[in-house]
Amino acid sequence: MTIAPFLILGKRKKWLEIRKDLSPRAASLLTLASFLTPLALWCIISYTPFLWHPDVKLDIGSSGATVYTAGDQVGKDYYPQLRQEAREANDQLLSASQAGEPVTASSRANIKTLRALGPISVRNGLLHEGQLTSDADIFQLWRQAAEEPAVFRRIPLSEENQEIARQNWTILSDASETYDKATFPKEKLLGLIPQGKPANPVYLPAPHEVLLTGWEQWTRPAEDGKPTMGARLGQSIGIVFGGFLVAALIAVPLGVIAGSFDGISKLFEPFADFFRYMPAPAFATLLVAVLGAHHAPKVALVLIGTFPHLFLMICKTTRLLDRSLLEAAQTLGATRKRLLAKVVVPGILPQLYNDLRIALGWAWTWLVIAELIGVKSGLTEIIDTQGVRRNFDQVYPVIILIGLIGFSTDQLLAWLRPRFFPWVPNARKPSIFTRLLRRAS
Amino acid sequence: MTQPLPSYQEKSAAVKERFAELYQRPLELELNGLSKTFTKPDGSPVQALLDIDLKIHRRELIAVLGASGCGKSTLIRIIAGLETPTTGEALLQGESIDGPCSQRGMVFQSYTLFPWLTVLRNVMFGLEATGHSPVTAESEARQWIELVGLKKFENAYPDQLSGGMKQRVAIARALANEPRVLLMDEPFGALDAHTRADMQSYLLQIWRNVDVTILFVTHDLDEAIYLADRILVLSPNPGQVQEFIENPVPRPRSPEQFSSPEFLATKEHVENLIHPPEARSEPVNLPILKLTQQDDRVE
Ligand SMILES: Nc1ncnc2c1ncn2[C@@H]1O[C@H](COP(=O)(O)OP(=O)(O)O)[C@@H](O)[C@H]1O
Ligand SMILES: [Mg+2]
Repeated sequence: MTIAPFLILGKRKKWLEIRKDLSPRAASLLTLASFLTPLALWCIISYTPFLWHPDVKLDIGSSGATVYTAGDQVGKDYYPQLRQEAREANDQLLSASQAGEPVTASSRANIKTLRALGPISVRNGLLHEGQLTSDADIFQLWRQAAEEPAVFRRIPLSEENQEIARQNWTILSDASETYDKATFPKEKLLGLIPQGKPANPVYLPAPHEVLLTGWEQWTRPAEDGKPTMGARLGQSIGIVFGGFLVAALIAVPLGVIAGSFDGISKLFEPFADFFRYMPAPAFATLLVAVLGAHHAPKVALVLIGTFPHLFLMICKTTRLLDRSLLEAAQTLGATRKRLLAKVVVPGILPQLYNDLRIALGWAWTWLVIAELIGVKSGLTEIIDTQGVRRNFDQVYPVIILIGLIGFSTDQLLAWLRPRFFPWVPNARKPSIFTRLLRRAS
Repeated sequence: MTQPLPSYQEKSAAVKERFAELYQRPLELELNGLSKTFTKPDGSPVQALLDIDLKIHRRELIAVLGASGCGKSTLIRIIAGLETPTTGEALLQGESIDGPCSQRGMVFQSYTLFPWLTVLRNVMFGLEATGHSPVTAESEARQWIELVGLKKFENAYPDQLSGGMKQRVAIARALANEPRVLLMDEPFGALDAHTRADMQSYLLQIWRNVDVTILFVTHDLDEAIYLADRILVLSPNPGQVQEFIENPVPRPRSPEQFSSPEFLATKEHVENLIHPPEARSEPVNLPILKLTQQDDRVE
């Protein structure tokens, strides 16, 4: 019996104490865990076939009453019925030919049956995507499926499909060992039975799928007017930082002045307080009408979403400056201008920096709505168009990318803060990066 | 104590002579019928100071004593120009005080050093504010820092200093402007006893070497008697001058004088002024509630 994990918990009674800081080691460990736990959960759900997996992802589709192509997903309950229907259709053909009256089919229908072997061959590396309509190549695959089914290695053909392949091959090879349109058989071929693997719903792609799609999104070359991923990211960052910077440029001086002079505060703050309860997206159509459908209204939306809060926060930060510092400066002969420039501003700067960090976070949260208004653009366009088509493996990389960029900018700013403000007491908490780095070294 | 204490008003010849000389000096600070009424947030008035008349001469060291809330801070803030009197006036060298200025430096109990400036920059602040060039400001600031013994710390931030060191910087910062008056509101109140004793000696030393009049608010009787020429005792509700005592303890002062008869006599008198014997609460004989053992006595 291993009790090591419990020992770690037991030794650290501190873990259960209210408002006691953990040792740096334990803190780093938990920080790491806070990222690894969701990732591990995602992996476990994705890669353990008997956990959840309510769907079946088809390697071989069906061509019966309901058509499914390879890659489609069907419910776990419906899957046996789908296979049963295909089997029954084949049984009818077989009994007819045993009775000596073989069923004929149009060559189009037979070609379709022939091509059903295509996708699973691609997935086994026996065929290129481009050859999916090359009947001569697929014709040869039927021979392989009949004579040497072991070449379907990665995703083997089921026993019954191997049997179907042998029976079909007898018909196909009757006239010629190679594909020849003229001698292509008229006798109706047996349909392959749908086969597939347990799968999670399309809205929960596996980590590696998301990773691969993300990689593919970034390496995809620009095509007919559609911007590359890098260009899209640039657009989005432009909107976030554009809105944020304009908000900061107005809010910082105005907030400092309003926080310093009660008259200005009473003139601006009550309205800002009211304005912030009007949700920024409510102005979307108005902004598009006034500013056009492209970059400007999107920046303006981020601006409207962040400015009032930021302004009020800076007013408060300014008022929180210790009044006795101002009095001390006055008894040292400082004039009003000097009080503002040499006491108020430097005095609130470390907190102002944090306020701006928080505001930048808000700006990121407005991004998606901003990009949806007017002409859809940037990263959000992918989320929107691909999400509607249920290509969620295309959506996740973008969502994660936005999170990663927002988070890492903030962490970078947190890490820089003591470098900008060396006088702020060292009681500061190490940033998450610092903690993870410490853990790694 | 076998011998009865002398009267606090009895002074040696040398002390009498000193006071006579002191009153010959020009007037530095004059308060005429000064009153201050605050309005509480609920609108009711608070009479913080009532009819204060004071004359303080050049280079005097005045201690201001009084119970908490009797208006000591208000008095000193009016002189600093941080509050305006409701009636009456405060004069510095005959001129009416109107708003804060570098002529009246102030040291607060809460350390009011600018946390974003190093010790050197803190001391330079007032010099630059009063129009000195950065070069002169820096060299003068260095001299003041040396005077308070913090040369090694001139590039430290306030957060890295102990409480005593911070107050020394605050004193240097205030004195660098060469103010006429140095106002100190319980400057050593937050320091531990040992540091406080050091700072008191420091202050006396500085005061000897600098042409400045000091008003020193404290609630520590020993501190007041050890430092001051005269002790202003305020009575509470409203704050009024209860007595302006001439301190009979001779100069130069040293910590041995804490047990001298003049010192003890003055202390007893001031004690009785601030805490009249009839207002003191007698210790009550509490019943013993719980003893773990028989005869478990502590005394
Ligand atoms: N800004 C103010 N507003 C209202 N009341 C005040 C204000 N400042 C001081 N007071 C009142 O004036 C009286 C004197 O205060 P203060 O000068 O701070 O006393 P001390 O410094 O002797 O303890 C107290 O009753 C206090 O509550
Ligand atoms: Mg006070």
